[in-house]
Amino acid sequence: MANVSIIPSGDFKTSYASDTTIFPTKTSRNFAILGVLLLLACPAFMDRYWLSLLIQIGYLGIAALGLNILVGFTGQISIGHSAFFGFGAFASAWLNNRWGVPVALAIPLAGVLTTGVGLIFGVPAARLKGLYLAIATLAAQYILQDFFGRADWFTGGTAGTIAEPLTVFGFAFDTDERYFYVVLVAMVVMYILGTNLMRTRDGRALVAVRDHYLSAEIMGINLTKYRTMSFGISAFYAGIGGALYAHYLQFVSVENFTILFSIQFLGMIIIGGLGSIMGTLMGTAFMVLLPELMQAATKLVSGTAIDTALNLRENIAFLREMSIGLVIILFLVFEPDGLAHRWKQIKAYWKLYPFSH
Amino acid sequence: MHTGSLKTALFATSALLLGAAAPALADIPIGHLADQSGGTSDVGVPYAQGVSDALAYINSKGGINGTKMAVDSVDYGYQAPRAISQYKKWSSGSDKIVALQGWGTADTEALTAFVGKDEIPAYSGSYSGHLTDPTGKGPHGSKPAPYNFFYGPSYSDALRGMLTWAADDWKKKGGQGKPKYVHMGANHPFPNAPKEAGEQIAKELGFEVLPAVQFALTPGDYSAQCLTLKEAGANYAYLGNTAGSGISVLKACQTVGAKVQFMGNVWGMDENAAKAAGSAADGVVFPMRTAVTWTGDAPGMTLMKDISKMSDAAGTAYRPVHYMAGVCTAYYMKEALEWAGKNGGLTGPNIRKAMYQKKDWVPAGLEGVCIPSTWTETDHRGMTQVNIYRASVKADTGASVDELVKNGSIKLEKVATEDVPRKPEWLGW
Repeated sequence: MANVSIIPSGDFKTSYASDTTIFPTKTSRNFAILGVLLLLACPAFMDRYWLSLLIQIGYLGIAALGLNILVGFTGQISIGHSAFFGFGAFASAWLNNRWGVPVALAIPLAGVLTTGVGLIFGVPAARLKGLYLAIATLAAQYILQDFFGRADWFTGGTAGTIAEPLTVFGFAFDTDERYFYVVLVAMVVMYILGTNLMRTRDGRALVAVRDHYLSAEIMGINLTKYRTMSFGISAFYAGIGGALYAHYLQFVSVENFTILFSIQFLGMIIIGGLGSIMGTLMGTAFMVLLPELMQAATKLVSGTAIDTALNLRENIAFLREMSIGLVIILFLVFEPDGLAHRWKQIKAYWKLYPFSH
Repeated sequence: MHTGSLKTALFATSALLLGAAAPALADIPIGHLADQSGGTSDVGVPYAQGVSDALAYINSKGGINGTKMAVDSVDYGYQAPRAISQYKKWSSGSDKIVALQGWGTADTEALTAFVGKDEIPAYSGSYSGHLTDPTGKGPHGSKPAPYNFFYGPSYSDALRGMLTWAADDWKKKGGQGKPKYVHMGANHPFPNAPKEAGEQIAKELGFEVLPAVQFALTPGDYSAQCLTLKEAGANYAYLGNTAGSGISVLKACQTVGAKVQFMGNVWGMDENAAKAAGSAADGVVFPMRTAVTWTGDAPGMTLMKDISKMSDAAGTAYRPVHYMAGVCTAYYMKEALEWAGKNGGLTGPNIRKAMYQKKDWVPAGLEGVCIPSTWTETDHRGMTQVNIYRASVKADTGASVDELVKNGSIKLEKVATEDVPRKPEWLGW
């Protein structure tokens, strides 16, 4: 019983509105607001290293949420998410460089353009399922990757393209301290949008398609429409994430948006929890912080008795890559429902303490 | 009395600590981007070793005007975005780097605008012609690259030199009709950099230019590419990638029997590659950036061998040509830093100015090794002389590179020196 949210006895929901509320209790809402306020204060006391990690979690988390809407909520599959992320990055840089669209406007516009691309590549989703759909999205990955490498007018070809920093009324968000707020605002907005989407009629339709597409169709849900739409929404999130990335790094190059990166996105949402908004963020944080943690761990080991005993020396760097793989496998074995599920269990444990059973 | 002596002791200790800490604070921060695991790591490793050893050696001798350099070496895996994010870490904050030792074409060209804005001189392992135009006035639409320097002939000039040699070679060999030239390489900024420049001069020299052939930066099976060369009847082919993938092409072409005179770029051939490719590398020509190879005899080799001992205490390691080029590059930076330190301080504009002080400049101690170079405020083509060498590989290459060079199984022989004209219309191209 630990996995349902616990509400005081006698506190019944009397309306649909209260049933679909984002925060089940006042405390949970206050905690969320407190969390955002704490994040707002971060640049004041955090160094650049941590800020850059938080910024990464921000823009990757936005893109990962898109993938979770597609995979976790609609039950589709995509192994081409990084290509959409890349398209958003290039599109935003292109809109700004070529057409002089201000960056603040280019970022959402890039999201819209990416949505269009996502809808095109989502068309096969109307007819394909499972592994076949996976292969179709793989095609999207390779088509777009090749396009990035050749479309000089759009991406600068293999040389990549410069993306100007975001400037609003002459104030340039060109340092980590400043850009942190841009990403934070974007993330909060996109996550609230995502959460609210799932509370709407359309959101429920997506979940229905995932749970039992035949029943959904019999109930009058247009499968083609919702499957394609899900691709579009997913691409929109990826595009926004990519555009934020472009103006953060101020340089976009094709070599980043490989299939490996797409798999990483899948890793984020699987570790975080499929079909969980909060889990997406947790999974992204996990995937961003794990390599750094392993890096620190290998640094600790290097030069110690363990290092000399095993004769690791320069191989210690590879130890890091291997441990990342190992941790992910262990995670999937012992926590198949993702971090979101574990989080709920921890909360329930403390609520019921000491009578959790 | 008792407390007094304690106070004195405390004071003395803290003064000592401060004294010891002070030079550490004032160290000159230098960024060093290296490819030790990516697509060009086969040549990136020896070059980076050369740079690192040279900087470590300079530090061991007291550093720059008595101040040590704090060198931060980072392996960026030949991923331009990683290089940029690393650069952003280096260029912000209080310990902003004074100069950058860079590497690849993609990342160096992407960083051109950044280093220009931040006024951080960047010494690259990329010799892309696009980096030679400090003012951006070149007629081929090059962007200004005022803070980019490299030691060696640009990729374009090297190819121009080799094609000039090839045209002579064709006549000498009594070739009939128009020789056929083909550009080969990955679709990547590095192999692409000299593509148009090479194809244009090839046409002017009377070559028939075949459509370019692509092969990836990583080793693989390139029989298909070699069959294309064979069917098209190519006579001269430029290998735009580094040695690693070049070897695959050489071997595959030997297997399918494509008889082509291959011309490598500066990164396309070295002693290690000659060993790995074996007889397939025999006859490949390439431009070399130093006047001698490791076993050569020159006054500067004494210093070179001392530098090598920084990572090889026994002093027995054989260093390929890229190592020596890395040392030369580091030494040009060293002398520029020294000049700047004495003439107004270690700022970007001063270091840049330092690069323009000498004509036919050879770093002190490396005479006869580094080739005289001249940089001017309007022209960053430090060297337009192209020394063309031929790899001669005999018999079995099973032994170590050191032995192979000693017993003459691998030889790098000079075939020609081409002085490529410093044409203004070739600036930045």
